[in-house]
Amino acid sequence: MDPEEDMHDARGESSQEEEDFYSEGYPSDGEDEDDDGDDAGYDFVDNDSDDPSTDVRRLQQNYTTLNEENISQRQADDINRVSTVLSIKRWEACVLLRHYNWSVSKVHDEWFADEENVRKTVGLLEKHIEMPNKRELTCGICFENYPRDTMKASPCGHPFCFSCWRGYISTSINDGPGCLMLRCPDPTCRAAVGLDMVDSMASREDREKYARYLRRSYVEDNRKTKWCPAPGCEYAVEFVMGSGSYDVCCKCSYSFCWNCTEEAHRPVDCGTVARWILKNSAESENMNWILANSKPCPKCKRPIEKNQGCMHITCTPPCKFEFCWLCLGPWTEHGERTGGFYACNRYESAKQEGAYDESERRREMAKNSLERYTHYYERWAANQSSRQKALTDLQALQNEKLEKLSDRQSQPESQLKFITDAWLQIVECRRVLKWTYAYGFYLHENEHAKRQFFEYLQGEAESGLERLHQCAEKELQVYLEAETPLKDFNDFRTKLAGLTSVTRNYFENLVRALESGLNDVGPSNSQAGSNQAACSKSSSSKSLAPGKSKSGKSRTGGAATSSRSGSSRGMDDSIWTCDSCTCTNPKSNSHCQACDRHR
Amino acid sequence: MQASRARLFKEYKEVQREKSADPDIQLVCDDSNIFKWTALIKGPSETPYEGGVFQLAFAIPEQYPLLPPQVRFLTKIFHPNVHFKTGEICLDILKNAWSPAWTLQSVCRAIIALMAHPEPDSPLNCDSGNLLRSGDVRGFQSMARMYTRLAAMPKKT
Ligand SMILES: [Zn+2]
Ligand SMILES: [Zn+2]
Ligand SMILES: [Zn+2]
Ligand SMILES: [Zn+2]
Ligand SMILES: [Zn+2]
Ligand SMILES: [Zn+2]
Ligand SMILES: [Zn+2]
Repeated sequence: MDPEEDMHDARGESSQEEEDFYSEGYPSDGEDEDDDGDDAGYDFVDNDSDDPSTDVRRLQQNYTTLNEENISQRQADDINRVSTVLSIKRWEACVLLRHYNWSVSKVHDEWFADEENVRKTVGLLEKHIEMPNKRELTCGICFENYPRDTMKASPCGHPFCFSCWRGYISTSINDGPGCLMLRCPDPTCRAAVGLDMVDSMASREDREKYARYLRRSYVEDNRKTKWCPAPGCEYAVEFVMGSGSYDVCCKCSYSFCWNCTEEAHRPVDCGTVARWILKNSAESENMNWILANSKPCPKCKRPIEKNQGCMHITCTPPCKFEFCWLCLGPWTEHGERTGGFYACNRYESAKQEGAYDESERRREMAKNSLERYTHYYERWAANQSSRQKALTDLQALQNEKLEKLSDRQSQPESQLKFITDAWLQIVECRRVLKWTYAYGFYLHENEHAKRQFFEYLQGEAESGLERLHQCAEKELQVYLEAETPLKDFNDFRTKLAGLTSVTRNYFENLVRALESGLNDVGPSNSQAGSNQAACSKSSSSKSLAPGKSKSGKSRTGGAATSSRSGSSRGMDDSIWTCDSCTCTNPKSNSHCQACDRHR
Repeated sequence: MQASRARLFKEYKEVQREKSADPDIQLVCDDSNIFKWTALIKGPSETPYEGGVFQLAFAIPEQYPLLPPQVRFLTKIFHPNVHFKTGEICLDILKNAWSPAWTLQSVCRAIIALMAHPEPDSPLNCDSGNLLRSGDVRGFQSMARMYTRLAAMPKKT
């Protein structure tokens, strides 16, 4: 069976690209996962982490970014290989490879199965036929007579004059990539006209065009490679089939799904993305108003523009009302009902408590059963634009702010990497969070346990991210504006670095949990309960392995040992929130993992 | 341009020399423009076009013979691969399967072959294509014959 067949379902396969998955409570990558995917993964039996081979495999990236030179090199290598193995000329190997979409193994298989048939199909003659042995020959295109030695022919021996060949080849090259399958001009003859003829007769410009088509074909017709879809990017990405997650990150820094070439969309699968995009375009007219950048302040009704990345909005003075951009509710009321202090992801609760009657329009939409979609779409889009904003902020940070901060705080810029790291993490998390809303939209409504668990995980993710985003956005401001005591800045460093690593871990686990389809969440409550414990446990424990800490302070990775005890149904039993920095910690930690303060 | 003119001139001389070689095809070059030709072809026997004489118009591009000539029927014809109004012809060798080794003469021969063997699956004339595809060969033939009589036969006065 050809493993390269068609689109692959990304769900149920897991990634091997992370270098450091500290997988307490999660199965190791690859190992026990297979194509029927959904029942794999996401159990919390401690089943690995001391098998060195899995660690090695994790270190290997399952894709390679190729530049123009790499592409030509690989192509040349393949051509040489086929040419050597089949004892044919290089141009013939090139024609063969093109015909079989650059699959060396396919060429070999077909050739050794039925060489004669392959030769016939592709137009490669076994015996080269000489041109008729006459002093003068008639060109088959211009019908003029020329001395034999000024004429040229493919191995079929049909003679054409130099200028007709040149015109013939040029016409074909300028007609598009079909020139790579060029045949003898004689309509009764199917002999291939290959690279050697082009090189010996075409103009320089045409030769370059031909070479470009050849390179393009190597990427586009090859099942292992695709162009990076980022506008203007000229890299291609070669992917090792069947090796896990389809998310790849091009050298240009654009992340995309290799399978469907949409932007990277873990943890949702390609099919869901396609459905979601279709849905969005079908609803786009209704949704335009939602995307508007301004909403009235729920208290003073003045229009407020959202110009910050996080969802916590404070109205301009004198009102100063603090509210949530997503539900327009008071920020202070955020809590259990909305999914957490920093979270506003729950659909059911918002609906039940009538938070949705802010305008006539919305009521109308509810009637049209768009309400549910609106909930998810709005949050999906809000995270999308928040991500865009974070990218812009990151750029501003790198272009000027870091330098300024370095001056203000008398810190070398190399010591400020934790801030860039935080922003990169925010960008990535916004992306993941965004797609969890598509995930939520398609989660079956009557899978209550699953939905509940999902919303819990999502809510936690959202709060964690909001905390990180606020810290990186608002608290940073203080240090940009004035000189501060070194201790304060170091505290800030500890906090931001801690939040970054906690958030990273949480999101990595979230992605895995969702990719495995939250499959262990069944009707049994105890199981669901222990799931949650496992999730919050591993989410908060993993990054704290010694040496991982960005602040350089050594902290204990103590979380890894316990908190399996906290398997009760209650959502917060297994964790505690630090009063000082608001970071979530596993119960087993006596000190906050972000700021090291005692509980 | 020079090359296409030279090549067309060769075809012209060949046509003059072999006038009677193919009695079914009569190619004529425009007196003032070697890039405009017309042809009279006889409807093939045992087809609904038998007995008719059909006129074709050739417009030849400057890159001829690297690019194919444009050909259309001037005489009305009921045929699945010929546009009923414009006379445009759907024939692979006039498009992507063109070879510069073909001549205007060989194009005429290919069109005669197409008249005898319609390709109802790539119809330019849907009515006619549908008749054939639905298996109504008699219906198709009587329509085609009627138009042959109306348009491609000398009027008896
Ligand atoms: Zn020639
Ligand atoms: Zn040939
Ligand atoms: Zn790229
Ligand atoms: Zn995809
Ligand atoms: Zn206000
Ligand atoms: Zn809210
Ligand atoms: Zn703390």
